[in-house]
Amino acid sequence: MSEIPEELLYAESHEWLRQRDDGSCLLGISDHAQQALSDVVFVELPAVGDTFGAGDSVAVAESVKAASDIYAPVAGEITEVNQQLEEAPELLNESPYELGWIVAFKPAVTPQGLLNAAAYRKAIA
Amino acid sequence: MLRTPLHESHRALGARLVDFAGWEMPIQFEGILAEHRAVRSSAGVFDVSHMGQLFVSGPKAAAFLAWVTTWDIRNLEPARCRYCHILDDEGHIIDDTIVYCLAPDEFLLVPNAATTDRIADWLASQINDFDASLEDCSAELACIALQGPDAPQLLEMHLALAVEPFSLARQGNLIVSGTGYTGEPGCEIILPVDAALPVWEALLALGATPCGLGARDTLRLERGMLLSGTDFDGSQTPLEANCGWVIGWGHQFIGREPLLAQRGSGYAVLRGIQLAERGVPRPGCDIFHNGERVGCLTSGTLSPSLGTGIGLAYLNLEPGTAVTVAVRGKHLNARVVRPPFQ
Repeated sequence: MSEIPEELLYAESHEWLRQRDDGSCLLGISDHAQQALSDVVFVELPAVGDTFGAGDSVAVAESVKAASDIYAPVAGEITEVNQQLEEAPELLNESPYELGWIVAFKPAVTPQGLLNAAAYRKAIA
Repeated sequence: MLRTPLHESHRALGARLVDFAGWEMPIQFEGILAEHRAVRSSAGVFDVSHMGQLFVSGPKAAAFLAWVTTWDIRNLEPARCRYCHILDDEGHIIDDTIVYCLAPDEFLLVPNAATTDRIADWLASQINDFDASLEDCSAELACIALQGPDAPQLLEMHLALAVEPFSLARQGNLIVSGTGYTGEPGCEIILPVDAALPVWEALLALGATPCGLGARDTLRLERGMLLSGTDFDGSQTPLEANCGWVIGWGHQFIGREPLLAQRGSGYAVLRGIQLAERGVPRPGCDIFHNGERVGCLTSGTLSPSLGTGIGLAYLNLEPGTAVTVAVRGKHLNARVVRPPFQ
């Protein structure tokens, strides 16, 4: 069973989004996604200040067998990257919703069209 | 899809199953990294029942196998095994295989799953001139590989048996050989389909970690072992594959003349590539030297043991040469090395 925290928003491509009080967002991949990827051995991160459009790939998670793009559900600008992932990519597997966050970004517009926990649970059922 | 006799056990253990050469095989159980580490540090078991088993017997079986393989099998002693290549008329590798000498007039070949039919047809097309017969028993036999530093001890505990590297022992209807595809001590057990599950379960009960094809691939690649269909695909010779040691030059065999002609000429050789910076090289990644594309990776992965990217490529470059590998649009610094990777 995969864990799906109630307070997050989800994309159909299995990213989660945490909206923070300062208007910025944290982005990561869901428990379901990390299970499907299995052992993550490398995470390619963007640079702070990079801008991107909705649906653009902002990072790459690589398992032993495959590379998977991580897509931004909304346009914006990178404000932080989780540098711990450079030394410990396995945090994506061990703690997908907390220590394994991937980037923080300032959204250009209010995120829309994302799934709540119940809808995401249905989408991966 | 074809299934091995251990299929239900794999499902019960929660294995992730994939199509491999028409077989539904476990790619991983707990995870590739954990399985890889288990084999390097203790012991793992692999279901490799998809591999082929071809028996060749008769007064001229050894002479026939000397003709169709790169090694002079007439010199292979009973209870010994030999890794060699099967070549076409142009000297290209059709497949690599281990030949088992069961008796002076009885041999077993273990070709790869994807090439077993092709090898069976090829051998059948060549056997007419010899007093020997060929039997494909691939459907009736399973194979379990027990690998890792603790593997000999587990084999001793389960079967009260020890096998030296490249020797073999028979116990009832089991053939146990000191062979494998991980670079670790261990054995491969060839046995009737009906006998496979009890052996598999006994080895698990003794503490061996069930391992899938994913770990099998990272383990073999760290040691620079070739993967059929990937590191050679029918267009390379054993010399190009850096396997001159599989050739017994003193006997006549199919493909010998083209190899003699190639020997001493300039040709690209399968080399190791090791990344000097972070990244995961994949098969197909292009390799550059002095700004020019000089080849591409046939195999590539992140080495779980070393934590660096490793791969194999046919190159006209010597070990030690600095190159770059194009990984997802970025040129990563790397070096040509001589496997095994370290």
